[in-house]
Amino acid sequence: MDMVMHYLGAMWAENIKEWKIELSYRFDFARSLVEPFVYVLPYLLFGIAVVGGRNSQSLFNLVGTGDVITFVVIGYLFMGFLNTALWGMGFALRKEQFFGTLESVFVAPVPRWVYVGGMALHSTMHQGLIIMVQMIMLQLIFHLLIDASGLLPAIGVVALMLVALYGIGMMVASLALIFKAGWIIAEALHSVISVVTPIAYPLAVLPIFLRKASHFFPTTYGILTIRHFLIGEDMGFSVGTSMLRLSLLCVGWAIFGLFIFSVVDRKTRRDGTLGHY
Amino acid sequence: MKRDLRIIWEEFRKNLKILLCYPVVWGFWAIFPILWVLPLIFQGKALVGGLNSPSFEKLTGSGNYLAFVLIGSIVSTYAMSSLWGMGQSLREESYWGTLELILTAPIRPFPILIGKAILESCFATTGAVIQACIFTFFLGVELSFGKILPVLFIMVLLLLGLYGAGLALAAVTLLIKESRGLVNTLNWIFYLFSPIRYPVEVNPITRVVSLAIPLTYALFAIRSMILLNKSIIQLWGSVVSLILFDVALMAGSYYVFLKVEQKVRKTGTIGMY
Repeated sequence: MDMVMHYLGAMWAENIKEWKIELSYRFDFARSLVEPFVYVLPYLLFGIAVVGGRNSQSLFNLVGTGDVITFVVIGYLFMGFLNTALWGMGFALRKEQFFGTLESVFVAPVPRWVYVGGMALHSTMHQGLIIMVQMIMLQLIFHLLIDASGLLPAIGVVALMLVALYGIGMMVASLALIFKAGWIIAEALHSVISVVTPIAYPLAVLPIFLRKASHFFPTTYGILTIRHFLIGEDMGFSVGTSMLRLSLLCVGWAIFGLFIFSVVDRKTRRDGTLGHY
Repeated sequence: MKRDLRIIWEEFRKNLKILLCYPVVWGFWAIFPILWVLPLIFQGKALVGGLNSPSFEKLTGSGNYLAFVLIGSIVSTYAMSSLWGMGQSLREESYWGTLELILTAPIRPFPILIGKAILESCFATTGAVIQACIFTFFLGVELSFGKILPVLFIMVLLLLGLYGAGLALAAVTLLIKESRGLVNTLNWIFYLFSPIRYPVEVNPITRVVSLAIPLTYALFAIRSMILLNKSIIQLWGSVVSLILFDVALMAGSYYVFLKVEQKVRKTGTIGMY
């Protein structure tokens, strides 16, 4: 029990440290709250331009809801948690390297995953804040049509999706130690996952090979189920099936991420390349 | 003049050597921008059930939204790389610890920036050509040979203005040290208010704001030539606007750069991080 408290204390300390650093750059912090809004708008305006309004009959035929704005906004908002894994966690170790504190962190009396876990905690809180701000802004501007009773189950799905995303984050964090230019790994994975995840479109429009690939990512089931709870999207399978698959992905990605992390951690120590830039 | 050309060549060579050390980076920039437009194509397909939209045609003159976003992707990647490349060029020298050496060398800094700009544009051109080839061969977008010259002419006009703006950004880097936030914000403005991913005519605010961005005129002209078969003479309004932007941006940015350089030399803040 003492050990758990010790680890939790280290995670919390890491989280507080990150908040302090981020709040020192107020302009960048404010920008992080607005940025996703700027990136989602072109997709909304593109949707309106293509359809000629807010409602699409074609989308309705595919998923049982025709409101383009609400459909796209929910997809993009919750997809923001992918940033938690890829940039928040994935860049955790690389950032320490920039600051010149990586070696100090690695000789601290806690396992390295605890440190990455602290970054995950911070990143999740930060992303949660971003999503709340976005939700309020977008609700005020576009009057999203959301089923309020679906909010609680949707939060549950987010929690489950996060576990799997943490696994992906662990993997990216460790790969950044080997490849150094870790932003490419994060950006490449982000691009691939963003294409195969049905953020602004249903799975049905993807080519078959992409549809198959999408089943390996937690964001696919996460986004589909969240939208099912909030706007009644027809997923093509039951909620139970979706939750079961999401749970399997949680276990799979978490184990895989921790495994890769421990292998890379050992390798970089043995090769003595930890301090390489 | 000969001396300046030598400096430009050496700077070009130096940056090329550094760039070639990171093959994954240029491979990434050549291929991944293609992935970034795929969601729009799938989204369009889901919303209208095909690759043609009558509503889109009312706004742009062509219902082919696939070609619209692909052209937007190539041109914007090209434009953004100039802003990022030039804006961050002096910052990179600062990271490498060579900024002071460059600025205290008995040469003018301007040819150095031109050397960097030329390499950036070669890099961006290679990426754009690869993307255009992929779009032509795999996605069936037609880019006939006769249209290439006028399109290149528009691209040159666009780049001249953007490299001018990049020069001002490089100067700001000398002053405020970290210009990433500023470049990011400019990136947003371009992304949101110019017709990179959607026709700006769809919203009255974006339609008005887009008029202040040179990328809008370039994209309008290039799309009109490729998708609507218009000649460059018919698009004289866009060409004149781009030339005016070029003159204003280059002259203004050069002035800003000289002033800032003088200031940081006088205040002795070049070496500050």
